Parts: sequence; structure tokens; C-alpha cells
Amino acid sequence: MAYLSTIDFFEDKAFIDRYQYTLRTGELDLSWMQAATEKVHCEPQNARRGLTFRDLDVGSYGFTAMPELIRQNRSFAPRGAEIPPGTPDLQAEVNRKSEVWAYNIEGYYEEAMSRQWNATTDIPWEELSRHELPEAIGKAYAQLLTFLTEVEMIATDVPAKWLGRLNADFFEVKNFIATQAMDEARHAEVFRKRALTTGWGLMRASLANERNLKFLRDADSFAEASLTLHLQAEGMVLTLFRFSELISPTELDKKMFRLVMQDEARHVGYGMQHLKWVLDHFPEKREIIHRHLDEAENFVFGGGYAMEVLEPFIILSGKGMKRANIEQGLKITAQFNLKQVDEYFERLDKCGLPERRERSKLAQFNEMARAQLAAL
Amino acid sequence: MQVAFPSLDFFRALQARMQTDRERFKRLGYFDTTFGIRVITGHTAHEYVLAFEVFDCTTVREVGALAADAVDFILEGDLDAWVEMLRNIQQHGAADAAHSINTLTHLGDRMRVLYDDPDGHDKLYRFAESVQEFFNLAAQLDIAFPQLDPQPAATA
Repeated sequence: MAYLSTIDFFEDKAFIDRYQYTLRTGELDLSWMQAATEKVHCEPQNARRGLTFRDLDVGSYGFTAMPELIRQNRSFAPRGAEIPPGTPDLQAEVNRKSEVWAYNIEGYYEEAMSRQWNATTDIPWEELSRHELPEAIGKAYAQLLTFLTEVEMIATDVPAKWLGRLNADFFEVKNFIATQAMDEARHAEVFRKRALTTGWGLMRASLANERNLKFLRDADSFAEASLTLHLQAEGMVLTLFRFSELISPTELDKKMFRLVMQDEARHVGYGMQHLKWVLDHFPEKREIIHRHLDEAENFVFGGGYAMEVLEPFIILSGKGMKRANIEQGLKITAQFNLKQVDEYFERLDKCGLPERRERSKLAQFNEMARAQLAAL
Repeated sequence: MQVAFPSLDFFRALQARMQTDRERFKRLGYFDTTFGIRVITGHTAHEYVLAFEVFDCTTVREVGALAADAVDFILEGDLDAWVEMLRNIQQHGAADAAHSINTLTHLGDRMRVLYDDPDGHDKLYRFAESVQEFFNLAAQLDIAFPQLDPQPAATA
């Protein structure tokens, strides 16, 4: 117990007398009715959409007028409420809007809430009995699902870790990353469930990816965590989910990957709009971002191209382990790897970081791989 | 009533089915994107713009040149690829494992996703299940498919 009350309420005569006086007399204080707050009456701007956060963007309750630096609210008081003197300082670690904000953050939150799904009931698990996978395909798929479960567990932990560290005034961001934690938990759930229905259970955890995941978790700031989690890692995982949908053995698996890719694409959207916001409002951070990406790309290269990730893809996309299957799988997997990296740099271009390609070892490696593939 | 593919009537029929099946789409969530369809027949192309907002398909238009429209992405394919996909949907009630939109477009060999803005491109995936369910509504239509001729495909 690091934090103790400075008052022992059970021994505080004034507090207890006031309470008993109220109960005895029915004389109410009612000073809270005079709260110095704005009186507003928000309404849905689009009845079909319902009452959204955008509809609440008014005056002191809104996010548009929120200052860059939150000096006044150091508590859990909801933005726009009167904060009584003496409210404890919760020492939020992130108090600059530009460190967390994203264009359209309120829209991403509403989309997240409306597009939730249930891993237990929205996947047609009853169809599993119609499909039996050959041993090599089954094992490769179980290995892919093991890797994905591992990845999604850290993707749950990272937003959850930062949630309580953000100033309470960043209400829309906090709510969005709360939905992200739920999304990622559901992804870990659905991949674990699918792995345990293949007949092979879980396979081997990935050493190289564990290193990358630790790097993601241990980011020094929310901005670093978001850059590497939302934009880089999830961007690459989004391409991976689409590739996994392509190589999925059954329609059930296709649906599973379509549902997870929806959530992942939304997180990537937040990551892109956040990086744009940072570069628009904090251009001096450009070099810090590059330095962080230098190391992040090193980790993601080691993780994404690790044997236990690459080999299942080759087997699944080639649909077997005969020589012809492997050759076909190698070509398709190489195309996937190129696409994954290309799309990562496209997103950085769009965010306002086009020079990234010039200084990135990952971009150099990708061009080398492209030339090798063309020569096949 | 029979609708021809490709035609504006075909996409209007899907729009009407989506309205009828509103609860199914409401369950999938907000669906906010505008995208283009390009069906290549020989050296010409049929082009359409579909706009979705909240839970509805709000606009279906045939256009002369998709390039002039602000769309998030374009789904493009030769006529035979579109017909194969739609016939598959009709046969199975929904796209099978080889005929989902993502599977057909991912490597760009059967169909393609074209885009200028990666944020717009990602909307295909943010709303992936809604897009797939929209095309799966074709299972409920009586479609008149064209006679497929072995013509060389136009370049994009």
C-alpha cells in the first residue's frame, strides 16, 4: 500500500457528524448542484449512427478545444467536470495531447464498439467436423496459430499497460486502447481455440519473436509503443492476416481471419493517424522516430523472417511438402514478404515519413529480395 | 426478376437486398467506405461506385471513368474472374475458400485491389466481413451472365 489516506474517516468526528446530521434531519447540502460546469444538451447528428463521441465535442467537454498540455486535470475527474481543491495528483505519465492523439480517434472508437464480435459464437466451429487436415498442413497451421497467439498476447498487454498511465482527459484515446486490448485478447482466444482444434495443439514458441515482443512491451514512451505496435507490428500482422486468409485451409478459417483483420486494420488506422498527428504537431520528433524505427525494424526482421514463422507459411501456401509444393510455397511466401514490407513503407510515406526508405536496412533487404524473386 | 451482370441493376439489386437484410449488416457494425468496381471486358471496362454509410449502401452509380471519383480502393478483375466468383457464391450460398474477395485479390493474379492511399486501401480490411457479406448477397439474385468469349484482357 504505497498510498494512504491522510484522514482516518472512521475517527474523523466532523465527517461522521455531518453524515449523521444529514440522515437525522434530511437537510441536504446541495453545493454540488452549483458545480461550475457548462450546461449542454448534446444530440445525435446522425440518428442512424446513434449518439457518438463526435456529438459530444462541445465546449469544455470536447476534444477539439483540449490544450496540448494538460496542466489542470491531474485526477480521474472526467473532462469538463468541476475538480474540487485537494483532489489527489494521480501523476499520469502522459500529459501531452500530441503524444497520444490521432486524427479521427473518436471515429475509430465508435467503429471498434460497433464491430465487436465473439470468438465463441461468431465462428462456425460446428463445421470443423467436415474438415480433416493432412499431417503436414495441420502441423504447419498449428505452428502458425501458436505464433499468432503469442503475438496477440503481447498486443493485449501493451495497450493495457499504457491505459492507466494516460491523463484522464485523453478520454477518447483511453477508450480506444481499451477496445484494442479487448480485440487483441479475443484474437489470442480465437487462435488458441483454433490451434487446439487442429488435432496437433500448440507447437513451439518463437525465440526470435519473444525478443521482438519484449522490445514492444518495454517501449520507453507511449509514442514509441504506438509507433512500433500500431503502425509497424500491426501493419505487418495485418498483411500477415490477409496472407493467412489466402492460405487458410477452410472457410471457417477464412472467416476467422477476416474478422481479426478488421480489428487489426482499425488499430493500424489509429497508428497512422497518430503518427501523422505527431509529425504535424511535433516535427522535432522526426529524428527520434527514425532512431526508434532503426531498432524496431531490426527486431521485426529477426522475428518475421524466423524459421518457425517462415516455414509454416511455405508449407501452407504450397499446400504440402513435396518438392513442387515447396517451390510453389517459396514463391508465394516471398511475394507475401515483399508485400508486407512494401505496405509498411507505403503507410510511412502517407504519414509524412517518405525518407524512411532511404535510411532503412529493411527497405534495402526488401529490394534485394525483390531482385532475387524476379530472377527465379 | 433477372438482373444482368455486369450492370447498374445488378448492384442496385445487391443494395436492395442489403436493405432487406439490415439486421445482418447491423450486427457486423458501422460500414463506412466508398469503393470502385471495375469489370474488364476485352478492351473496355464497366465501372461502378458503391458508397456505404453506417449500416447501408447509400449510393450505387455507374461511372464513365473511376479515376475521376474519390474512392478508397478499386476492386478490379476481368469479366471471367467476376463471373466465376459470382457463380461460386450462387452455388455455395456464399464464397467458398477459393473465392473470397481477399483470396482472389491478395496476390493480384485473379483480381486486383488498386489504391492511391494506404489508409483507403486498409478500409477493405477494416470492413472485410461486411464487404464479403455484401457480395455474398448475390446468392439470392437471379443473374443473367454474359457469354464468355476468349478475349485478351485489357491492361489496367
